Amino acid sequence: MKGSAIKYERDNIDTDVILPGPYLKIHDYDELAKHAMEGIDKDFHKKVKPGDFIVAGRNFGCGSSREHAPIALSYSGIKAVVAISFARIFYRNAVDGAFLLPIEVEEDAYKDISEGDQLEIETSKNEIRNLTKNKTYKMKPFPELIGKIISAGGLFNYKP
Amino acid sequence: MTKTLIEKIWDAHTVIDEGNGRSLLYVDRHMIHEVTSPQAFDGLRANKRKVRRTDLTFATMDHNVPTNNRSLPIVDQTSAMQVKALERNCKEFGIELFDINSPNQGIVHVIGPELGITLPGSTIVCGDSHTSTHGAFGALAFGIGTSDVEHVLATQCIWMEKPKTFEIRVEGKRRNSHAITAKDIILSIIKQIGTAGGTGTAFEYRGEAISELSMEQRMTICNMSIEGGARAGLIAPDEKTFDYLRGRRYIPENYDNLVGDWKENLKTDGNARFDKSFTLHVDDIAPQVSWGTNPAMTIDVTGRVPFPDEYAKGNVEEEKAAAKALQYMDLKPGTLVTEIELNRVFIGSCTNSRLEDLAEAAKIVKGKTVSSKIRAMVVPGSQHVKKQAEEIGLDRIFKDAGFEWRESGCSMCLGMNPDILSAGERCASTSNRNFEGRQGSGGRTHLVSPVMAAAAAIAGHFVDVRDLDLN
Repeated sequence: MKGSAIKYERDNIDTDVILPGPYLKIHDYDELAKHAMEGIDKDFHKKVKPGDFIVAGRNFGCGSSREHAPIALSYSGIKAVVAISFARIFYRNAVDGAFLLPIEVEEDAYKDISEGDQLEIETSKNEIRNLTKNKTYKMKPFPELIGKIISAGGLFNYKP
Repeated sequence: MTKTLIEKIWDAHTVIDEGNGRSLLYVDRHMIHEVTSPQAFDGLRANKRKVRRTDLTFATMDHNVPTNNRSLPIVDQTSAMQVKALERNCKEFGIELFDINSPNQGIVHVIGPELGITLPGSTIVCGDSHTSTHGAFGALAFGIGTSDVEHVLATQCIWMEKPKTFEIRVEGKRRNSHAITAKDIILSIIKQIGTAGGTGTAFEYRGEAISELSMEQRMTICNMSIEGGARAGLIAPDEKTFDYLRGRRYIPENYDNLVGDWKENLKTDGNARFDKSFTLHVDDIAPQVSWGTNPAMTIDVTGRVPFPDEYAKGNVEEEKAAAKALQYMDLKPGTLVTEIELNRVFIGSCTNSRLEDLAEAAKIVKGKTVSSKIRAMVVPGSQHVKKQAEEIGLDRIFKDAGFEWRESGCSMCLGMNPDILSAGERCASTSNRNFEGRQGSGGRTHLVSPVMAAAAAIAGHFVDVRDLDLN
């Protein structure tokens, strides 16, 4: 998986800014995507390209259980969110519908990645390569259940 | 082997144990609402699946429903469509629905306990993060997303990773139990452990200051577990729990036998070990007011809006976050909290919209007038709460003072219905989240207790409710 980084230097990016409440009434996923990140970045929809990654700090996706949040990011083209940590409902929602990969990294990696850096993520090796800076970071392995749901391609394909 | 209550409920509901904490859990009660269920029903239809246990599934509409005149149709077309979709889905799949005109309608986490759907020792899920509220009854209750809603509708089970156990001890005695409320206790906890302090864990709240709380106050505490990062938070049931539920509409016929079992089993064993522990002493806590854009950014009402470096205590990221929050909130560091002027007051939400919340707030409001600068509203958590409040005249007290008295729903907690803040408006709110834009784009939220909100409505700014005569 290759793409460029869209970086938000902040912790606690909550689901209300990822997809503000008024848009929870929208059922068309492409329409939802137009409002992704609107709470903190009105230009997100214009700048995001298919295959991009979001890079952020701690506790990404805290707050509401709205699956609309990972859906809006996914339909914007985001393939993975690389963060120091995730709130648990978002983390689960991201993989249930195979919307995007929630990838946890150490703080050093988060700090090192700059806006626009080209990243290559290889989950089989638990590695992220920063092609722009010619560096490699470790990603934390997925917990067993999350890893299995990802491998299955989502919750409904998962068989124990 | 000794176990915590969380582990006991987990083990009792494990259908398949895959090892490494990965389990298929049985779900005793599934609550659904109009916003996070439509895609789940579409999924069932597409795969020709039925709802496995319609008798354990309960639906209501709360998130986007208007709170003004219920005899009129819903003006917002997208809200009307979501409400209609829930009606259609419940009819097609045979699920009991408390619709907009039902006497049982209300916020899903208010009506669950009120109707006796919530039971001690049970597992409860709902497509809403504040499902942790039901933990007040000794249930393991947590919020889920829409894919999991579909999975539970189809199978009555959910795949989960076993949470770590986190003991939250709350000790001591509040000096003024009218002024220092459950809301102040939970905000004090979150302020200290942080918004991600409980990530991957379930809380068990215990200690004398928890036992002493009423059921409604316990619900306020458990409700905000998610704001501390935990998907679930519970309190072992006691006589107050059993008395609260006795006689309610949906409790099982053999309730008194169940109480016997619950008394014996639903508690953490004496020497059981928790993975983490935190203790709060309530003797000296003050009423709390949030100043920032997450619930951990909270201070005493006697305090001043902090400087970013003072708040961050050397943490660079926290300092940047605090500076951003102050900018969004348009607050100057060093300002006394009691000098923060407000435009709006909201008393409601699944955190603080039950009868006791309204009654305590009404004591402050009685015989007074809302400040001319303020628009204030009370949104009861359910139709039952509204009716009970009206029976004891609380509606008159609020209306006479200049509050709007509304129909039940989530309302201005999350800005999905017409009850929203305009950009730049500043609100004292009894809800649970002060995130940017949560109550309306550009709106500024200060989280407080119902009595603090009521007092602020009268004064036009925050006041220390300990200075008022609350008896």
